[in-house]
Amino acid sequence: MTIRALRILPPLAIGRLGSSPEPLENYDVRVSDRDPLGFREIHGALTFVVDADTGGIRRSYTPESVRFKDARGRVKPVAPFLEVWADVDGTLVPLTTALLARENIGVDAIEWCVQVGNQKAFRRTGQARDRIDANTDWFRGHARQSLAGRCANFLPRKTLPFGHVQFIRPTDEFPEIRLRFTPAKGVIYGANDDRTRSEDVADVIYDSGRGSWSGYTDGDADPSTIVTNPGGIYANTGDDRTTSRGYLDDECDGIVEVRIASLNLGAFARIGAGPPDYAPDSFPVRTIADELEQILLGPHVGDDEVSPEWTEEILRRAFETVRLQNTTVLNGNSVINGGPANSMALQDSRLGRAAEPIMAPAIVDSIALRALHQSVFAALRGGTAAWFAEVLREYEEVGDLTNAGRRKMPAMMRGSDGLHLALTRRQYNAVRASGNAQANAEDPTSVTFTTPAPPAEEAE
Amino acid sequence: MRSSLRRYLVSTPAARPRRRARAKAIDVLEAVQAPSAPPAELSWHDYAVFLLHVASEIEHALMVQYLYAAYSLGGANLAGTRHENARQWREVILGIAKEEMGHLITVQNILRLIGGPLHLEREDYPFRSDFYPFHFLLEPLTKNSLAKYVVAEAPEDWLDTKEGKEVVERAAKADDGRQIVRVGMLYELLVEVFGNEGALTDEDFRADTAPYQASWDEWARGYGAGERGNIGQESPKRTPDVLVIPAADRAGVVDALQQIARQGEAPAGRGADTPEESHFKRFLKIYKVFPERNPPSRNIPTNPTTQPPQEGDADGEGPTVCSPITNTHSMLWANLFNVRYRKLLFTLKHAFHVQAGDAVDRPTARGNLISWTFGEMYNLRSIAAILVTLPLNDGGGDERAGPPFSVPYTLALPDWDSDKWRVHRDLIAAAETLIHQLDEDPDEAQHAYLRALRDHDRQTLEVVERLLTGAEQQEANA
Repeated sequence: MTIRALRILPPLAIGRLGSSPEPLENYDVRVSDRDPLGFREIHGALTFVVDADTGGIRRSYTPESVRFKDARGRVKPVAPFLEVWADVDGTLVPLTTALLARENIGVDAIEWCVQVGNQKAFRRTGQARDRIDANTDWFRGHARQSLAGRCANFLPRKTLPFGHVQFIRPTDEFPEIRLRFTPAKGVIYGANDDRTRSEDVADVIYDSGRGSWSGYTDGDADPSTIVTNPGGIYANTGDDRTTSRGYLDDECDGIVEVRIASLNLGAFARIGAGPPDYAPDSFPVRTIADELEQILLGPHVGDDEVSPEWTEEILRRAFETVRLQNTTVLNGNSVINGGPANSMALQDSRLGRAAEPIMAPAIVDSIALRALHQSVFAALRGGTAAWFAEVLREYEEVGDLTNAGRRKMPAMMRGSDGLHLALTRRQYNAVRASGNAQANAEDPTSVTFTTPAPPAEEAE
Repeated sequence: MRSSLRRYLVSTPAARPRRRARAKAIDVLEAVQAPSAPPAELSWHDYAVFLLHVASEIEHALMVQYLYAAYSLGGANLAGTRHENARQWREVILGIAKEEMGHLITVQNILRLIGGPLHLEREDYPFRSDFYPFHFLLEPLTKNSLAKYVVAEAPEDWLDTKEGKEVVERAAKADDGRQIVRVGMLYELLVEVFGNEGALTDEDFRADTAPYQASWDEWARGYGAGERGNIGQESPKRTPDVLVIPAADRAGVVDALQQIARQGEAPAGRGADTPEESHFKRFLKIYKVFPERNPPSRNIPTNPTTQPPQEGDADGEGPTVCSPITNTHSMLWANLFNVRYRKLLFTLKHAFHVQAGDAVDRPTARGNLISWTFGEMYNLRSIAAILVTLPLNDGGGDERAGPPFSVPYTLALPDWDSDKWRVHRDLIAAAETLIHQLDEDPDEAQHAYLRALRDHDRQTLEVVERLLTGAEQQEANA
């Protein structure tokens, strides 16, 4: 038996910010068979409790219920574990103390290095002195390693805390090699000038005397940098120039590396920290998981590859998304009511289009739209083929600002390019393939539905 | 047809007694001339309302018959080209039915504009009248039934062509020897009546009804050219938009009526000059290649009904035949279909009685009614697709059931707003009982659909209760 290679699984782990010292319990999200249009059910899953001092897993249990805030109302952070797996003669198995022993090495041969950063300011100012990086350097042992973000333009002795990592001490009961990433609290840091409001920030760390992040505007951006589209998406003073207040949050992303120098083996994974999920029983209509799946498997979906459950999942996420929105406002009804609510209707007007609602104002209350989507969902379950591919927005149509173009689905939402959101090509092709497959079925009612498996996104 | 309608038809020029039992189509056409006076007992305004009621019934009846024909196509015994043809033709005919729905809604808009009562009722089978294209029959698609549809939607000048005469003859035979009446005739008469400034006065047109009319933006959601409901892209690219046309004045009404007529019967042979394919052209295309024998249709009955067998049902043929659904399980699905059909019609009618709201913090009546109407259209399609796979009778055999489209005992809206919402509550309760019975049946295979439907009804009921409470408060404060 030879260890040929190492892997860290999952290769991408997304934590979520939270100020509670108690990490969130593990959980699964399931669709109820008896209540198919209701909220997804949250079920506790096997959860490890780590002793902060020793770094060992003190106990494991499956919670009967999951609470997203602690007793003091603080949000529990999502703190993912990253497990080391070994390719042993072509088979991927968890790396354990027993496996290490077979190689005549101990746990102290395992080294980790974590580098994360927050480049929001650097991304815009283009000044290398605005880079905020944290680097643990290679470390052994099971003490917590702080992820202290350092920046040349910070005030003396100030850092931006990104949380910490901890190499979990293997035990007889839990002999696997794993590292835990615990993100930061989710607070805001400011600059030492009058654009920072003390009530907003946990600390003042940025030195406006050295750097230009406070006071920056996209309009004055260095031509060598590419501003975001839409621009001005940073905390600003609200003036016409969207002048930056110099705020920084404690989100980050970066690389976790592991190595066994004596075996000349190593692996890496990516980690990131995002905001808390305040609607954990609903999923957006398009997620990073969809992007990754498209990258991995390509945009094309054959009629024989798709299942009705796939289309059902897309539709479920559509009405879950509607459920979280005030679609009346997003439609731009406030435009006709005199309000300036930010919406695609307003964004489109900045491209020279008349500011007017996207859909007919009378039909867009979110309960009515949810009902409509759920009707389509029910019809799919009744064996009706997915007939709505033609009303989905194709990727090349995101800039179509005609009435017909703006009314395509998904509607009223902005993509990362500032234009109307489209599903991924792979999602779009899946809906089309599903419709074809069901329409071509000898007997459409022979195509039966089962409860769909939870999407991969839940495994965070 | 109800005698209350027939008595006025008898006195209309369109319904003059024919000398021969089987009049030529041209005789009927000649009968449709602009009348110089309305029928006895009616004013011009009244006559216009009456004709719009007839148009409503015709559009409604055509829509239902086309839906039934489309649902009949397909089946597990088809393969290869026959399967593919059935699939394509089903989608084309469903597209036409959808456009008939648009016509029905546009006619309601015109009724609204001139202050007439809305009319979503239709005569249950069997019936006939001089304006109705053919006897109402829910029947599987055959070459003969297609002939009737082609002639009903045909332009006038096509009837005298060699091809036209052949189809007219076949259609007449298929309709118990009666000459098929072109739908376009009624619209020609309506255009004459509405275009006559000596008939309806400008005061008859109430522009202030606009908030209570249906619009294309709301009902077609802005989707054009068959985008909605086009599976496998079988509907031709030139498929017209669903016509949901608000009308504000005389010119608008005439334009809407002409558009409806054109969508039905724009003649064949104009090729690229015709931007959209009419119902006539689409039906004729199918007719030309439809097999004479062994059509790719399911073995479903003519005029299925949830009524128990009546004397004369079994030996009946032609327009009076009814086919009772006697299988208990199939009957439950047929009952559920009828409840959803009634819910569709009631919800549609109710939507014409509320104007758009601008609330952003609570459900709006109009928005929800429109969504529910679409939801019931989807339900009808789903339940019909299930019904055509279920047995018609308990005694075995290959014959399958079909969607009965039974006309509700009433579609009248209660006078009080709160009572209108109570009807929604009643319909959901009726559906709940049936869904529960089906879901409890150990032989049931459609649990996933039934539970989604029940869940959806429960959520709808919550909204109904909120709207009902709001209506009660308004009535209490009035």
